Amino acid sequence: MDDPIADLLGKIAAQDRAAFRAIYSDASAKLMGVLLRILGNRAEAEDALQEVFTRVWLRANRYDADKGRGMTWLIALARNHAIDRLRSRREIQSDDEDAMNAVIDTTPRAETRLIAVGEAKRINQCFETLEADKAAALRGAYLTGTSYLDLAAQFNVPLNTMRTWLRRSLLKLKECMEQ
Amino acid sequence: MTSTPLDLPEDEALAAEYVLGSLDLAERSAAEARLRLDAGFAALVNDWQNRLSDLNEDYAEAEAPNLLPQIEARLFPQAPKSRRWFGWVAGALTAGAIAVAAFVMLPPPAPPAPTMTAELSAEASPLRYAAAIAGDQLTLTRTAGTDAEAGKDYELWIIEGDKAPVSLGVLSEASVTIPAPKAAAGYVLAITLEPKGGGPDGKPTGPILAAGPLKNI
Repeated sequence: MDDPIADLLGKIAAQDRAAFRAIYSDASAKLMGVLLRILGNRAEAEDALQEVFTRVWLRANRYDADKGRGMTWLIALARNHAIDRLRSRREIQSDDEDAMNAVIDTTPRAETRLIAVGEAKRINQCFETLEADKAAALRGAYLTGTSYLDLAAQFNVPLNTMRTWLRRSLLKLKECMEQ
Repeated sequence: MTSTPLDLPEDEALAAEYVLGSLDLAERSAAEARLRLDAGFAALVNDWQNRLSDLNEDYAEAEAPNLLPQIEARLFPQAPKSRRWFGWVAGALTAGAIAVAAFVMLPPPAPPAPTMTAELSAEASPLRYAAAIAGDQLTLTRTAGTDAEAGKDYELWIIEGDKAPVSLGVLSEASVTIPAPKAAAGYVLAITLEPKGGGPDGKPTGPILAAGPLKNI
């Protein structure tokens, strides 16, 4: 499958700095969107973006194109870093509401939409097999890295109930996607 | 659907929750430690990463500033301009005096590619650093965690085999570039929490917050 990000990662693993610049220009807007959505404020998201791209350079040799698409790997790197930051914050996340809303309201660019049509339809169809509040909790957890503790408070259920909900929903989702 | 859903096997549930991002700090750190050691668990995480990747469509793009100059300055530091840095290293390696030395970011152009890297982490700590040695420079970049608490400092050490740790100085910034110490693959870089100014007598006294071996690229 055509995967230009995967090609760039292969070159970066071979210390190609031009490829590193190219991947920054191709992927920084998407990764900034991820970081902003999870971290909720621009200053921290920019700081995180620097760290994520530093890791891209240092870890590109671990990317294996047989195991997934390049952009999936980049977004996982960004999400993991952002969620680690979120969890190591002592205090409850203080959102920069404007930044948050700005990101959420932005419509995905045409090209990002195109890539996904076939696949996204599948996962969205599977989401429809879940009960509405469980689907919302699952989607919210993924997109914003919300912890079980905060999800439980949001949905006003005990933490263990939330955990059981999400585990069962994940199983259903998996079964649906494998059909 | 009429069937009652069975539960996911525990390992797979944990992998899915890790990818989902709903674990708390302790559970997450444990999963990350396992990820590094357990290829089977890493494969489960990879599967879930792919399975949920379509949700990435919901992340809208956001305007990103051009941070490449800063990133490249961190990754590809410049060769030092004068030899006096070597005197500084000698001082550092005799330990003790280094405590107050501030690390300096060196200005740009044409650096060698990294020859060794290390990733520093510890299970019980959110602190993570990435280290790279390129030519005669060691670059250390904090990739997770925060500054040391008030009245404390993070101190960087290099350890050869069973020998005593040698201080490379107190970390005054989240990212530092310093002259590379004598190093080879297998030497360990470690960061400890020390009183302000560094461990007394040039020895570590606090807990190890992150550590990792140097590896050849």
